[in-house]
Parts: sequence; structure tokens; C-alpha cells
Amino acid sequence: MEQTTLKKESTMETGTIPSSAPKTVATCTITVNGKSYTVPKGKTILEAVSALGYSIPTLCHLSEVASNASCGVCVVEVKGAKSLLRSCVTKVTEGMDIRLATPRVLAARRTNVELLLANHPKDCLSCLRNQNCELQSIASLLGIDNVRFAQTRKKPLPLDTTSVALVRDPNKCILCGRCVAVCSEVQGVNAIDVMGRGAKTQVATFFFKGLGNVACTNCGQCALVCPTGAIVEKDHTAEVWKALQDPKKVVVVETAPAIRVGLGEAMGMEWGSLVTGKMVAALRRLGFSKVFDTQFSADLTIMEEGHELIQRLSNGGKLPMITSCSPGWIKFIEHFYPNSLAHVSTCKSPQQMFGSIAKTYYAEKMGIDPRDMVVVSIMPCTAKKYEAKRPEMMGAFHYWQARLNLLEKDKFYDVDYALTTRELARMLKQASIKFDALEEEEFDDPLGQSTGAAVIFGATGGVMEAALRTAYEVVTKKHLQSVDFQAVRGLEGIKTAEVDLNGTKLKVAVAHTLKNARILLEQIEKGESPYTFIEIMTCPGGCLGGGGQPIPTTTEIRKKRAESIYREDARKGIRKSHENPAIQQLYKEFLKEPLSHVSHELLHTEYTERGVY
Amino acid sequence: MSNSTTVQSPLEAVRAEVRKKIRPDMAYIAIGYGTCGIGNGADEILAIIEQAIRTNGSKPVRLKKTGCFGYCSAEPLVNVYIPGKPLLILHKVEKKEAVKILKAVQQGDEGFLRRRALCKIEEWDFLTSNIQFGTGFPGVPRWNEVPFFKGQQKLVLRDAGLIDPTDIEEYLAVGGYSSLEKALFQLTPARIIQEIKDSGLRGRGGAGFPTGKKWELMRQETSPEKYMVCNADEGDPGAYMNRNEIESDPHALIEGMTIAAYAMGAHQGFIYVRAEYPLAVERLKTALEQARKYKVLGPNILDSGFGFDIELVEGAGAFVCGEETALIASAEGKAGRPVPRPPFPAQKGYNGKPTTINNVETLCNVPAIIAKGADWFSSIGTTGSPGTKVFSLVGKVKNTGLVELPLGTPLEQIVYTMGEGAGKKKKIRAVQTGGPSGGCIPATLFNATVDYESLNSLGAIMGSGGMVVLDSDNCMVDTARYFVEFTASESCGKCTPCREGLSQALEILTRITRGEGTEEDLAKLEELAKVIKDSSLCGLGQTSANPILTTLNYFRDEYLTHIHAKRCDAGICESLFLALCENSCPLHMNIPGYLQLLKEGRIEEAFELTLRDNPLPGTVGRICHFHCQMRCRRDTIDEPVHQGEIHRYLADTIYKMGKERDIYAKLLKEKLPRTGKRISIIGGGPAGLTAAFYLVRLGHEVTIYDDHPKAGGIMRYGIPDYRLPKDVLDKEISLLKKLGVKFRMNTRVGKDITLEDIDENSDAVFIAVGAGKDMDLEIPGKDLKGVYPGYELLEKFSLGKMKSFGKNVVIIGGGNVAIDVARTALRLGSKVTVVYRRDRDALPANPQELKGAEEEGVEFLYLSAPKRILGEKGHVTGLEIEKMELGDVDASGRRKPIPTGKKKTLPCDTVVIAVGEKVDSDFLKAYGVKVNKDGTVKADPISLNAGPSHIFAGGDAVTGPATAAEAMGLAKKAAESIDTYLMKEKRFHRLFVKFVYKDEVPFNPESCPQNRPKEIPPAERITNFMEINQGYSGEQARLEAERCLRCDVRAVTMERR
Repeated sequence: MEQTTLKKESTMETGTIPSSAPKTVATCTITVNGKSYTVPKGKTILEAVSALGYSIPTLCHLSEVASNASCGVCVVEVKGAKSLLRSCVTKVTEGMDIRLATPRVLAARRTNVELLLANHPKDCLSCLRNQNCELQSIASLLGIDNVRFAQTRKKPLPLDTTSVALVRDPNKCILCGRCVAVCSEVQGVNAIDVMGRGAKTQVATFFFKGLGNVACTNCGQCALVCPTGAIVEKDHTAEVWKALQDPKKVVVVETAPAIRVGLGEAMGMEWGSLVTGKMVAALRRLGFSKVFDTQFSADLTIMEEGHELIQRLSNGGKLPMITSCSPGWIKFIEHFYPNSLAHVSTCKSPQQMFGSIAKTYYAEKMGIDPRDMVVVSIMPCTAKKYEAKRPEMMGAFHYWQARLNLLEKDKFYDVDYALTTRELARMLKQASIKFDALEEEEFDDPLGQSTGAAVIFGATGGVMEAALRTAYEVVTKKHLQSVDFQAVRGLEGIKTAEVDLNGTKLKVAVAHTLKNARILLEQIEKGESPYTFIEIMTCPGGCLGGGGQPIPTTTEIRKKRAESIYREDARKGIRKSHENPAIQQLYKEFLKEPLSHVSHELLHTEYTERGVY
Repeated sequence: MSNSTTVQSPLEAVRAEVRKKIRPDMAYIAIGYGTCGIGNGADEILAIIEQAIRTNGSKPVRLKKTGCFGYCSAEPLVNVYIPGKPLLILHKVEKKEAVKILKAVQQGDEGFLRRRALCKIEEWDFLTSNIQFGTGFPGVPRWNEVPFFKGQQKLVLRDAGLIDPTDIEEYLAVGGYSSLEKALFQLTPARIIQEIKDSGLRGRGGAGFPTGKKWELMRQETSPEKYMVCNADEGDPGAYMNRNEIESDPHALIEGMTIAAYAMGAHQGFIYVRAEYPLAVERLKTALEQARKYKVLGPNILDSGFGFDIELVEGAGAFVCGEETALIASAEGKAGRPVPRPPFPAQKGYNGKPTTINNVETLCNVPAIIAKGADWFSSIGTTGSPGTKVFSLVGKVKNTGLVELPLGTPLEQIVYTMGEGAGKKKKIRAVQTGGPSGGCIPATLFNATVDYESLNSLGAIMGSGGMVVLDSDNCMVDTARYFVEFTASESCGKCTPCREGLSQALEILTRITRGEGTEEDLAKLEELAKVIKDSSLCGLGQTSANPILTTLNYFRDEYLTHIHAKRCDAGICESLFLALCENSCPLHMNIPGYLQLLKEGRIEEAFELTLRDNPLPGTVGRICHFHCQMRCRRDTIDEPVHQGEIHRYLADTIYKMGKERDIYAKLLKEKLPRTGKRISIIGGGPAGLTAAFYLVRLGHEVTIYDDHPKAGGIMRYGIPDYRLPKDVLDKEISLLKKLGVKFRMNTRVGKDITLEDIDENSDAVFIAVGAGKDMDLEIPGKDLKGVYPGYELLEKFSLGKMKSFGKNVVIIGGGNVAIDVARTALRLGSKVTVVYRRDRDALPANPQELKGAEEEGVEFLYLSAPKRILGEKGHVTGLEIEKMELGDVDASGRRKPIPTGKKKTLPCDTVVIAVGEKVDSDFLKAYGVKVNKDGTVKADPISLNAGPSHIFAGGDAVTGPATAAEAMGLAKKAAESIDTYLMKEKRFHRLFVKFVYKDEVPFNPESCPQNRPKEIPPAERITNFMEINQGYSGEQARLEAERCLRCDVRAVTMERR
């Protein structure tokens, strides 16, 4: 990499990543259940005793996200304290004498969980979180065999079904505060907050307008951290089943990069299991007529977006340019920074590019009536459900409208259904597919061909890295020696680098989580942004940590998934998008060239100013 | 600054100028103008005097407003000052007196003012200065001689009610801001903190954290930006100390806050005050403006170089915002929800900066401590809790208001001396301290002192100073429910134990108050309360269980009564009674029912209804204390309905017509089948007869054992014929005989037959021995001839064993027996004198009997304590008595008699000692029956079981001397319990039938006093034993029944199941 210098700059402080431990660790001596230990100072009781081989049950606590200290489950007895103390927020002090399971502690834990259960719906069997519910687990852990308290909520609270992506059931909410914390502290969105007092307390949206009517980005991080089924994805599996059983329909599926590193978990495998081949095999068994890959359109995105960047650079277009793959991020900027929308690339996301190409190029090629074609996407993301239903996402319909004399009533979306990883797993289980026993299979052609550059779309920094791989070669017309841009990899909140493109030094930045996005946007709005190109992903870790991924999703799990993503990249024969033969063929046969007229018609979009209220 | 040796006092010149405002050369009238005064009409009085001053041109009088002197139940308070004279405080001033007061001040009409004055203040220690008002007005008590103020020490309230809170100059005139000057120019911050630490001042918001220590923690923080905050978010129901402190003396708070800020290095601060206190907010605004003008607040205070300013933050009224982390969140514009500590506000508070929050009262103490020193302060109160505390004394006491007293004062002094109790008719049961976070302390523990440790040890807390007195009309279960309802809705909703736990506790408590609770509920409630206390995140949750835990601890029987007997004796839990009269009646007679039946002309049915509830309706209708009238709602219009006189009328009418025969036959017919169970009843008095009536009808074989020749007990042998002709009693006892009750008369258990014998032949035993043994009075000469115990004398007379009592009879005592002896003696031709050690108001006898005795010419000597009985040759010649005077109110709700040393001899030939009766129960001990020290039988309050499973007890045997109706009420309860014990099923309800009558509520009832039955005039009756009360006429009875408001008729809303 002779002419390319990549320099990792100091990263900005972020809300999500814990700072590393100091070099010299001060210690203190504590007693746990009568035994004496030396532990690092500054730790909570929970952290300290966890390292000693004890496990204190918790419910509202979620490390890195929330320490509301609200549930009253992790209480322990500390000698000299008037009441029981919450181990999740109480720091150890010298000489602290802690008892983890006295009758007093057990009574409090049990009673508090019973109190939560009293008003919690008892229809576990028909809950999406059945067997993956922390309230269920804690009740089982504490051996709760009956609930002594009556249901005091007389009338059930109404469900919030206003959102295309998410459903909130306040009846199942135990007010742990995790969703509020993640929305506020990680995403900086504050679409939900705690309202009311006493028994009337609930998590709600602004004036109870519903998630669909407030500045919610549909990122689904709330659903990911919810211990119960109080916030879940809006389930579309029934519709997909129906389409699959309809003989008139040609149902094709596309799978996002992050699915292959997440689905295995949902099917009971190790964290971060890489299951590309099994996933393809399973999808075929579900009955999809073609199993395609969103990675194909990720490569396409790089072609379009890369050329858009080059064009903006040469034409004096709006800079920095910001990626547009992440639909949560798009809604975020539409709500909170509408004045900066011109900075966002006009490229549709890979999901949507796939839909438009499938229903035009592919349908035409295969002689399928686009009206009979159903495109299902499997996404790690809840916001994709919203994106698929944006009114502007009807490129294929408009393409065909004149050609086939289509009427308004024939309207169809480019992508018909966007399912999350969790929904797919649910379907596979329903279909009696023994996932771990499946032989690996290959994607179908031509929309199943992809490069390593497309795989890494699934991790934060991946789009940037993929774009740089192509941009470098397109601009410099030179071959890139090493394709690994380490500077933009990893879980830091904001990563920056400097790239030398033929003497032009470009500063780039990569951010994940919307709170970090805000930092970069504030710079832009103040006119202080030093960057040319910015990648923003809504969710912590990028798509692999998306709101549609298996629960739990923790930092540790995100790291495992990222490792698999980069392993898949390394394994791929072709690792630069512009070298994808199917993409080259697509341009040759259909699009002609990046940013062509057809491209604009099918692959580019526009944005809406929304405002906060 | 601290090295400066010259005392700087930039304000001294101003003070000299304005001192005259406090003690001017002209007369002034100052109206107590707090929220409390205005609520009682102070604004109207002010307007009238203002107008009068404008129109009448005579001697000029200054008119001003002050805060409140604390005596709320005596509002409006008006201060009057005439130069050279003491300051007078007039109370309960009415509009119509306003002009008179003005004129009296103008004309120096001392006579009028003396008569009208509550008290006077000759000199006053404002702590930062001492003011001599003057001398004069003999006969007017000094302020601290008035019961309400006795023992009070006004430290925080030093200026309240005496200076104009809207005028900084008046505050300056009494030495205000001199402590600030001292702090700024003579003391270092460290010295101030040391002084506060040495004083031992603890947080007056309730938790009692040492104030000096709190200040020191913040002093140690190095941040240049620190906040000094005053918590004025007073939210306890029934507590309003802080409101008055601010309304009456806002500058004391500002001065205290500024000194605190200086000591801790804070330059900004705010007062978080409830928006519901508009007057306090207004006065604070004015005070802050004036303080800035006089440079005691602002960027460069008194040119010292130190700057501090205060903002007002109005809280929207959330109880939880009294919790400091929630208060900070609220002030920052967030929802008021607590966050875990640490970090403590002293480290990370408002806007993330070090913050100290003190309560209003804590800060008001500060200037006084700085002025007079830590030693002075710590000499007040106790070692652990120095200083004073202001309480708002409210609820069931005569005097309510703000009391400030040294910590360590016993509760009884507050409730009885200052509050003067609840009067003799009501019994004080408990005090709730600390509002919803506090606990109920029962009257039996009122010797406890009020300080942080002592209250905590009783399960209550000091809290911010609410003190609600509860009496027998307060249901303790409902009290707990009320406070839990409050905290459940004020819970911020964050943590599980508080949010869910309190709503579950409320659910359980509500169920119990509806009679739907179970004993398991109690166990559940108790465990739940402990978990709420143990695992809630903040102070609100941790203390919210106190009302539950203390009532469960001290008043468990009351919970059990709600659960098992489905009764609320206090008459609060509406689901558990028909009407207040029915609930107050020990026999729970369906009073509205028989009144209505009478109104509808259905006399037989009306009588039948009374008879089913009360086997002796004619008897009890004559001798009852009429518990039913004590809570009658008609009393709120004019007088209670005379329900008892009506059932007497019904009985008399039916007996006159002979119609009882049909009803008796009906009862006989519906007797339940023979059970084969044998029940022995010991004692044929009201309790024994009542139990027999119900038990025999339930099919049991019932035998009554009594050592008298005839049944009836005290009704026959204690109550003279002029009150109860014995033919009525005989008639009613005849029903029992008809029903099959066997009477074994002249049989004394323990002598003529052993309890063992009875036991062997019985499936259950009911002990109803009554309280027929006279109490002894240890008095010299009691063994002389001519000295008799009262009850014994009545019994001897009724048995014909004694024909006359002596020429000159003196009776010691004031109970019913004393009066009965007196009136009997009078009828036998004696000259009769009753000596009683308290005053007439305190006399325990039935007021009607007292009135009758007075009319008949019995002489009463009140406040006379017997000292010794004098005699010659072994025979009584006189009684020496000592005159008493009235002291403070004691736990009985009456004023205590205090010896004066003045003695007097009453010549007489007979002395009757009638100082009460007791239960003779020695013979029971051998049979495993538990007996109390006073001779009463220890019985379970619900089942009336007395130890061995088949032995039950009721009546006076259990309660000690009480009324016949009370004895019968317990016997009725015992009968049900015995039947359930014997038959293992609930059958008692089968003895009652439902009468259908109209539910008519009189709309807009006109005032109409109680109908009085005809009585034989005193002159005609004192020579004989004819019944005095002739009873109602038919017309009177109907009119009286119509007075009933029918509060048993309740609107049934759709929501209620």
C-alpha cells in the first residue's frame, strides 16, 4: 500500500464504550458470605462478586446500557446498612461485609419478582419472547411457584401498534427502564420515556401518540434490550407464509450480511456462528424460489455511492457525504437534522437496490410479471420494515408503469416484506427445519453473487472500507495491495482515518450509534467537519448489532459476530465490489454505468424533512 | 477577613433607625396574617379596622400584618400594643369585635382588652435581640401560661407572629442579619461549620442527618460552582410548619441560607417551594427583593466580597420531590424521580455540581446558633437530638396549631397539656408522626419522648413534623389505608417494591376495610411491608411501610375485628356497618329499621325487630347510655335522634296491648332443633341473659347460675325502681323462661356448686359474672360504723335488707352507683351530699341522672377529695375533704385535680364509698381461665374464648364496669362464637329475619330538637320510687322517628359490585 497512508486518529469519547481500566488497580478487602476477598476498588458489588464466582440475579440491570436500580432483585445484605442494598449500583468499600442470600435477601427478591408477575400477563405460551424472557428466567431461578398478589390493573392498557416496525405492549412492561436508557443514552433519540406516577407509571411516547407518530427511528434497540415481550418487532411471518404458499407468486429472498453471523445463535448455536451455507439451504427448504443475497446489491451500492462521492469531489458537491444504508439513521437525520439532508448520499440502501433490480432487471430477464414477484428481505434490522414501506420505494413499479400500463391499484413496493433475523428463526422452527444438520448450499445466480467488500457491510466501518477499496482503485487506477483498512474496524464509537487518493488527502469518519452520529452532525451543522466521507450505522457495532438480531446481543457477542464477518470477507475470492462479475454484467446489460439514468430511476432516492414533533 | 479584629456591622445604623417599628411610641394593632389567619377571616378584620381608622379621626393607631403565632384553633389572632404595656394577643377575634378593639386601643380601655386577651408578652427574646414590651395587664396570663404554649420554646418561630414578614426593617429591628454579619466579618467558613457541628443540629426535614457534617462534605469539594438549596417542598398531609416559617419569617431562612452558602463556598442557590403555597412564594419574593436592596444578598454582600444569590423554584406538588435527588431532577426540569446514592448531592448534585440541600427549619436554626453559640443550642433538647422542633399538631385534640418544643418532650405533654386532649367523651388512641412516612404510636406509649432515636425505636419517624392525633372515631386500618393510598399514588413509579408493593398493600388494605380480608392477608401484608421498607430505592419507599407496620404492631386486634367480626368499631369503613347509630350500639340494633317500621305504622314488626337484636328492649330503653346517639348524624343539624326512647316506647306499647304473646310464640316456634349441647352460664345479669336468649333459640340446653334470688343482676339489684320498674324486667325475663332457659338461682359458683361440677355437665361455659364488687378506698376511718360500699348498699336496699341510710349521707364518687345511692337516700329522707374530686364536666355518671339528682336537691361538692372519715365511739361523725383545683388535662381527657391544702369537714352520720366496682373472679383462676390484675377475665377479643377451648366470657367480667348494653353486646358476640365452636358451622344469622321497609331519605330536614318524654316533677317524685320517665306518647315517638336522616340509605353507584 505504497501511496495509501492510513492513520488512526484519536477516537472521541462515546457513550457506549467503557473506558479501559487504569494501569494500577487499587484494591480493597471485602467479606462475601463470611469469606474474605481482595477486589479492585471502584467496582460495584455485582461486578466484584461476579469475578469471585458468585452470581447475583439481576433483572433491570444491563451492563453498558442501564443501571436504573429499579427492580429490587439484585439486593444484598450489607452489615451496618439500614436497608438492603442494590448490588448493581453500590460500590464496594473497604471492610464491606456482604451476604448474598440471607432469608431477608431471598424474601425481598422473591417478593419483588412476584410483585412484577402480579400484573404481568400470564399468556407466556403465546408471547414472542416465550423461553427467551428474562422475567420468566428469573421467576424460575428464584423458584417462584405461586404469585401471592392479585392483579391490580383492572383494565389492560392499549397496545401501541402505530409503528410499522415495532409493537409495544405496556401490559408486559416491568418498567425496568432499559428501553428508555438505550433510546436516550445509546441512541440519543428519546422517543420513549417514563410517564406518570405510582401504579400508573408507564413507558410512553410523547403525548401517547405512539411510536409510529413520534421521532422514533425504528432502530429496535429497545426491543433488543427489553427483558420481556413488552417491545417486539412487528411480526410479518404470517404474510410471508401466505406468499410462499401462493402458487401464483414467485417469492425470492435476499439476506443481509449480518444474518449469516446471527441466525445461528437464534437456532441455538454458538455466538457469532457463521452459517452462510446452512442459511441458504434453510431458506430453500422454506420454499423460496430463489435465494439471493443483499450482498449483491451491497456491491452495487458501492459502485453507485463510490461514484457519487467521486462526482461530489470533482463537481464541488455537498461534503462530507454520508452513507445512506442504515434506515434508522436516515429517519434520525430527517427528524433531528433536516438541514443536513443534502449531505446524505442519494443511494438507496442495499435492501432497496435489491428490490428494484429484482423486480426490473431480473424479472425482465426471467420473464416474470413483476406483479407476481414477491421480494422478501431478511434483515438484522427493524427499521428495514419501515424503509421498505416508504412511499418512494416503488422504483420498479414506476419503471413498469408505462411499459405495462399499470394502474394505481397495481402499485407494489420494491421489497414486499422485511423480516428480522428473529422472525426468520421463528419460521425455520415452525417449518421443522433441523438447522444444524443442514448441508451448506450456494446462493442462486445472478443476484446471489457478492464480494468480501459486501460482507463487511454488516460491521461498523464496513461500508467505508468497501468504498475505499473501490474508490482507491477507481481514482488511482492502481491495484490495491492490502485490502484491510484496519483503522475503520473495531467497536470504538467514532473512528477516523486519513486516506491519500492520488495526492488528495481525504479525511473519513465512521460512527455507530445515533448518539455518536449526533457528534459528527453537530460538527457539520457548525461548519466544522473536517471530513469528506462519513459512514454512519444506527446500531452499536453496525448491522450485526441491529435491532432485529437475536436476543441477547451484548458487546461480547457483537465482537464474535464481527470476527465472523471479517473471516467471511477474508475467505471470499473477490474482495472489491467493482470486481463482482455479476455487477459488471448488470451494468453491461441493464444499468450501463454508475449514476446512469436508469440508476437514478431505480437506485437513488430522496429524503423528507420531518422535524422532532 | 477572619483576622479582622474590629467588629464590622454595616447594618447597625439601620437597626438603630428601625428599632422603633417593634416598640413604637404609638399604639398598634397587628393582625395575624398567615394562610391560617386569612382562612379564618383575618382579611375581613383587617379591612374593617382599616376602614374604621380612615373614618374615625381620633387617636392614631398603626395597623400592620404579622405572620402566625402558631395557635391555629384560636385564629384569628390579633396583637395589640399600647406603649409601655405588654403586647397583648387576642384570639378568636370576630368581625363584629374589630371596631371595638380599635376603639379600646384608641381610648386605652384596658378593661375590655384584658377581658378579650388570650395572653400577654412582657418581654421577648428574639435570640438576636431582646425586646422589653412593658408591664401591666394584671390577671392576663403570660403567653407560656396558656396551656397550648406551656412548655413551648420558640427558637425557629422566634419572630413568627410578632414581626411583619413583608418588611425587612422589622427583621433588622429584632437583630436580623446580625448573624450574617458575624459570619462574614468575624468567622471563617471552617469556624462556622465547626460551630454547627458542635451545636449538634440535625436535619429537620426528617432524616436527622447532622447538618454540620453535611456542610463539611460539600466544603471539601473543590468545584468553583456549588449550589445551596433549601427544600421547602413540604408535602405531608397535615403538616404545614415550613409554610408558616416562610410566611411568618422569610428573612430568617434567607439569612440561614446565606450563612450556609458562605460556609460551604456556594454562590448560587435556590429555594424549592411548593406552588401550592402562594402566600409563602409571594412573601419570599418580596423578602428576596428587599434582601438584595439591603445588600444582604447579591454579588457583594455587605461589601464583604462574598456573593450569593437565591432563586425561587416552584415545585408542582409531587411528594417524592422532597427526596433530595428527585428534587434536584425536578429543579433541572426533569421528572422528579430519585436516583441511587452515591454519588451524593454534595459530590454530584444540581447540574452535576456539588449541592447541599437543607430543610427550611434547619436553616432557620442557623442564625440563632451563630448568634448564641453551639453551647447554648446544645443545652436545649437532648444530647442526641439538641434544639427544638416545630410540629403541626392536628387531628382530634382541642387545641391545634404549630408547637415548637425542645426535643425530648414526652408525647403526652404535647397531646394532653398543649393539645388539651379530645374531651372526656372520646378516647385518644394514637398519634401519627411523620405523616405517611411515619407511624402510629398508641396512647399507651405516650410517655415516649419526641426525639429522633425514640421515635425510630417505636417504628415511627420524626419526619418533617406532622403530628396527627387519632381518637376512637378513627379506624386504624383505614388510617393505614389512607396513608398507603397517598404514598402509592405519590410513588415516583421507578422501583418495584414501592410502585407495585404499595399498590398491592393498598389492595389488601382496601379489601380488609370492606370486610373481605383474611388472616392470610395480614401475614402477606406484613411481609410485603417489610420488603417495601427493606428494598425500596429512596426514602419515600423505605418509610412508606411504617403506617402499615406500626398499625399491625399496635392495633392488630382492630385488623382482626375487620377480618373476623366484619366490623369497624370506629364507624369509618362503610361497607362494615349499616349506619353510625347501629355501629355505635353495642348490640348493633337495626335502628334505622325499627324507626322506619314505626313511621310506617308497623308497630309489631318494629318491636319484633328490636327484640331480635336485643332481648331486653324495654329494660335497656330505660337504662341505656344511648351509645347510638354519640355519632348520630342528626346531631350536625340539631340534636341526635333519641333512638333508645323509641324502642322503650315500642316495648311498652306492645306489652300494654299484650301483643308480645304472638311474637314470643313466633320465636318459640322458630327455635332451632335440639342440638343436645348443654351450656352453663355463670351470672344472670344483662350479659348472661343475652347469651341465654340467643343460645337457647339455637337449640342448646341453657342453664343460668346466679347467687341472687332473682335474675337480672345489676339491673335488678343496682338500678333503683324510679329508673327501672322491675315488672318490665320480669316481663322480659319471662320470655327466656318460655324459650326454655333454666335458672338455678341462689347458687353461688365456687361455694354452692363448684365450677368443676358445672364443667362436667356442660359442653360450653359462659362466664358473665359482672363487676359487682365495690372498689376499696384507702382512707382513714373506713372501718367506722356507718361507712358503706356503694353497690353493696344498693343491693341490700333492693333485697329489703336495709330500710334507711341515715340522716346525713355523704357519698364519695361520681359514677352511676354514687348517683343511684344519692337519689335512693334522698327518697328515704336523708340529706345527701356527693363529693367528687374533679369538676362537674369530668363527672362520669350519665348526664341525665346527674341532672335528675340536681333537680331533686342532692348537693354536689366538686373539686373535693376525701381525706379521712371522722368518727366518735366507732361511729361516723363527718368526712374531711380537701379542696382541689384544676390542673392540666390528663390522659383521660379531663383536667387533673391538684390539691390546694385547703381542708374542710362535712358533718354526717353515713359515708358511702362509691368509687367504682370490680370483677370478683378469684374462683376462676383454678380452672385455667386467665385473669388480669384488675380481676377482669382475659378473653380473646374476637371469639371471647377465655382460655380452655370451651370456656367463654363476656360482659363486665371481661371489660370491667361498663354499661348494660356493652355487656349485652359482648354476650351476643360470645353466643355466636359459642355456637360456632359447638356446631362447627355458622348458624347465628338464622336467628334474624329481614324486614322490608321503605328507604326514604328526608330532603331538607328542618331543625327540630329532640322530643323530650314526660317526667314526674322533682317535688312529686322525691318521696317515692315511682318511675320518673313516663316515656313517649305515640305522637312523640312518631315525630322522633321522623327526625332520623336515614344515613343507612346509600347511593349505589354502578361501579360498586
